[in-house]
Amino acid sequence: MTASVPSFAMGDIGFLLLIFFVILARVQDDSHVQWDPAVLRDLEGAGSPLANVAIDSAYRTYLNGEELKNELLAPRLNAILGNAPVGQRNVFLKVHREAQAQHFEPVIQAIGEAGGDLVHILEPEPEQ
Amino acid sequence: MKLPRRQLLVDPPAASSSDIAFILIIFFLVCASVQPETGLAQTLPRTEEKKERKQQSKNLEVSITPSSIILNGSPLQLEEFRKRITTALQAKKRAEDKVVVVKSTATTHYDHWIRVSQAIARAGGTVTLELQSERTITVD
Repeated sequence: MTASVPSFAMGDIGFLLLIFFVILARVQDDSHVQWDPAVLRDLEGAGSPLANVAIDSAYRTYLNGEELKNELLAPRLNAILGNAPVGQRNVFLKVHREAQAQHFEPVIQAIGEAGGDLVHILEPEPEQ
Repeated sequence: MKLPRRQLLVDPPAASSSDIAFILIIFFLVCASVQPETGLAQTLPRTEEKKERKQQSKNLEVSITPSSIILNGSPLQLEEFRKRITTALQAKKRAEDKVVVVKSTATTHYDHWIRVSQAIARAGGTVTLELQSERTITVD
């Protein structure tokens, strides 16, 4: 008597693994950036971005998960945003809550120079 | 005569239980990853180095320090600032006059800054940043 591994399910398992990794793989992955969002009331849904800019707890600037100097931010954003019409040029800005104006104001200026539609990503204040 | 009896206790098919567990994992991963992000949209006027002085004099100026907000030379706390900026902007009729020039000290924290920005936006104003720029002047 022999017991064989049911091979008919291997195709299904392989397909599911493929979907699993496709969903997990994100082009604009900035999950490694360490930051705590500021908390604010009455926030809106942020939509979907063309680019993600982040300032982490060490006050380093990242564009789509890649560390970048502030001087290079505007031209790189310009290249990403391209000819997208106004209203469809969302740029998400994720700033660590303790970051200071000397860190985030140049970044905001760069986003403005690139013509991005700035969206500050924040944490909603818990309702009391 | 011996009647054929069906076996009452039947083992559930175990071959598909791994598929079921896998699909459940994907289900919860997808649900966790599609949480929409929340935020505050901000319109940025184009930065210009040269401004018309007449136009600039009509715009409100707000200075943000780590501990207070200065409007028209008066240091205020956030609640009072909200009322004052709303009153001040209601008197402005043109969109250009509703531009509020925001100057921040270098050590102003982002969470304080964003609350002030939200207050200005809710009052109908548009935030524009006044940044300090460095220039090298050669003296002969």
